Amino acid sequence: MAPENSEVRVALPSTVALHARPAANFVRTAMRFRSRLTVAVDGKVADAKSILAVLALGATGGTVLRLSAEGEDAPAALDALAACVTGLLE
Amino acid sequence: MVGIVLVSHSFELARGLAALTSQLAGNEVHVEPAGGGPNGSLGTTDDTVRSAIARADCGQGVVVLADLGSSILTVRHLLEEDRGNGHVRLVDAPFVEGAIAAAVMSSAGQGLEDVVRAAEEARGARKF
Repeated sequence: MAPENSEVRVALPSTVALHARPAANFVRTAMRFRSRLTVAVDGKVADAKSILAVLALGATGGTVLRLSAEGEDAPAALDALAACVTGLLE
Repeated sequence: MVGIVLVSHSFELARGLAALTSQLAGNEVHVEPAGGGPNGSLGTTDDTVRSAIARADCGQGVVVLADLGSSILTVRHLLEEDRGNGHVRLVDAPFVEGAIAAAVMSSAGQGLEDVVRAAEEARGARKF
């Protein structure tokens, strides 16, 4: 049984900031899951399902994001979010 | 999907925000601008807002955001006149942040109540 609380670190592609369209794609991916999902950068933590919170992180290309999940589908959510981040296009 | 209507005194402001919002939310969400008065003046008209609501309505509800002052009055007047069933909702939210939050929520396939809540929660959002 996978743990219900998990965390992964994943870097944004070097040329893609977590803004506008990429941020919206990230948030839409997070919304597919029931778990509480957060994304943290440099001590700032955002609800991964809130576009305004994610935009306010101001994460630039190449930044390492710390993704955390809490809930029944936490492992699947983290897999999907990490895949989303590495596949983001400008 | 829940449609979004952006009511502004300014044609350009409503159009520009609709373009920005659609860039984030994608083309599936109907984001409709309703800006400006007659003959390019600043203001709002019932007809402009009414037709924007009709264009935004895909049957799952419409969230209306307005810039300030008489824009709010125009929308309220229309909604009272229509005596609708609550599927068109004026929300008290910041114009830019509320539009973005609502449209992204709608683009994830969420319902009217969730889209309204996302817009209203934008009141407390920090920019950085």
